[in-house]
Amino acid sequence: MHVAKRLDRPEQDAIVVRHLFKHYGALEAVHDLNFTALSGRCTAFLGPNGAGKTTTIKTLYGKARADARPDTEIRVLGFRLPAEELEVKSLIGLVPQDNSLDEELNVEQNLVIYSKLYGMPMTAAKPRIAELLDFMELSEKARSRVKELSGGMQRRLVVARALLNSPRLLILDEPTTGLDPQVRHLIWDRLRALMRDGVTILLSTHYMDEAYQIANEIIIMDKGRLVLQGEPRGLLAGHIESFVLEVSEPGLLESLPQARRAAEEGTASGRLRRDRTAERVLFYSSDLASIEAVAGGLPTGSHFARQTNLEDLFLKTTGRSLNE
Amino acid sequence: MSSSIETRLISRERAGAAPKRAARIGAVWYRHMRVYTKNIFSNSVPPFVEPLVFLLGVGLGLGAFITRMQGMPYVRFLATGLLMTTAMFTSAFEMTFGTYIRLVFDKIYDGMLGAPLTVGDLMLGEILWCGTKGALFTASVMIVTTAFGALSFGLVWLAPLVGFATGAMFAVLALLVTTVVDNINNFNFFFSGLISPMFFFSGVVFPLGNLPGWLRVVAEFLPLTHPVRLVRGIDQGLSPVNAWDGAYIVVFVAGIGALAVARIRKRLID
Repeated sequence: MHVAKRLDRPEQDAIVVRHLFKHYGALEAVHDLNFTALSGRCTAFLGPNGAGKTTTIKTLYGKARADARPDTEIRVLGFRLPAEELEVKSLIGLVPQDNSLDEELNVEQNLVIYSKLYGMPMTAAKPRIAELLDFMELSEKARSRVKELSGGMQRRLVVARALLNSPRLLILDEPTTGLDPQVRHLIWDRLRALMRDGVTILLSTHYMDEAYQIANEIIIMDKGRLVLQGEPRGLLAGHIESFVLEVSEPGLLESLPQARRAAEEGTASGRLRRDRTAERVLFYSSDLASIEAVAGGLPTGSHFARQTNLEDLFLKTTGRSLNE
Repeated sequence: MSSSIETRLISRERAGAAPKRAARIGAVWYRHMRVYTKNIFSNSVPPFVEPLVFLLGVGLGLGAFITRMQGMPYVRFLATGLLMTTAMFTSAFEMTFGTYIRLVFDKIYDGMLGAPLTVGDLMLGEILWCGTKGALFTASVMIVTTAFGALSFGLVWLAPLVGFATGAMFAVLALLVTTVVDNINNFNFFFSGLISPMFFFSGVVFPLGNLPGWLRVVAEFLPLTHPVRLVRGIDQGLSPVNAWDGAYIVVFVAGIGALAVARIRKRLID
């Protein structure tokens, strides 16, 4: 039993990245990134635009080269990048940020082209394509031109395309950006089914619910650095208060004495953490009584108390300023 | 969705073996062939008709005044030259506008490079496809002109091979140009500044011997000159200068090709 487990050990880390640095000219896109993605699990990169998510993903299949440093190590499914990029690419599936479909061709023809890129004989490709179209609920569209498909169908086709070679690792760069809720949930369901069958998933997103729904492990990146890493519930428990009170009319906090006093006392004692945007004030706390004390002094409709979520944590760690 | 289907999704064992190089390049070639033949009529009829119109207009019109050129009927002189210009045009368009659209607008390469391919495979597949188009266009123009009697039947079953070489030459040249431009409109400089003049100064419509001495030297370095002279050599009898033509073609494709692929690799790999 122990022997078997030890033999399995190299298989447990689908992706190992050590000391990944990447510059574009003077701009540092990724700074000393270290992470491991476990086999059969879903790891999600969460970060604002320009955080370095896509750059990191590109280094995992040779589309971007990390800075040349002696201590940098990138290993995917046991193969080293960039030296063994062909081995890696034959074992993974990729859903890039842009669909990159041949719009003049129909759904099936797009998949046939990729089956050839993977070196699949036609006898194997045909049933596989039918199976994947069924899996992504596109069977009825097999003969439709890509440019006649909706955005959600095109995205599902790209996922099907990435599964042609029965990949052990599926990499998705913002898989559901711009899609309607129905399509997003369908894609999430399919990803869950794949994980159940042992496929490792790595995705990038800036949707909190996407990361929370399907990821076992979340890596929050900002300005090229890893800021936080952990499983979703653990991250919330360890790094942000349990509740938040959103006050949509901040002027009331000045004019109503009871609310003002509760807010001042809570903040001074450290039980409340105050944050503000241009139009709102937010009070974070794990002590529900302190939240209620402020809320009790405010009229109905001017405030809203709720549990904190990943988005609150995300904004806490990456800041509210725009990444421009 | 039954679970047996999902299980089969990962049931195959794989050892991480990518297809062999020839298969990878062939798969890229297949992609281009498939996309091109999707609209075969609108893609191929205009470029095919163009040299024929030129041959009719200039060859028959001007041919009434110029009956012979370099010891052969003028229409035949012109027709052999047009076999190569048709290969040049189709290839130059494919690898400027076509490649640029795949690169910048449709981002086709971003998807393909997620499959087991290198940038070299991707570009060799394109160059091979351009050569194929060159051969096909040369062959179709040749068949029609032969049917009209402009070419003798004895020629030129070798002409499509030279058409392939012409396609490859202008593919690598166009690829190099594509790596330089940052706006699709800039291709106009390439076509007006290089491709169109070449049509007149590479011995297609009149022999190089009629050019002033210095321009003759320039023409000797223009890429189109060599396949045109080579195909006429095949038609009329090869001469030693055709060895220089052959060598030029090989060195041009290898040299410009290596440079162009290295440049596009920089663009495709961050």
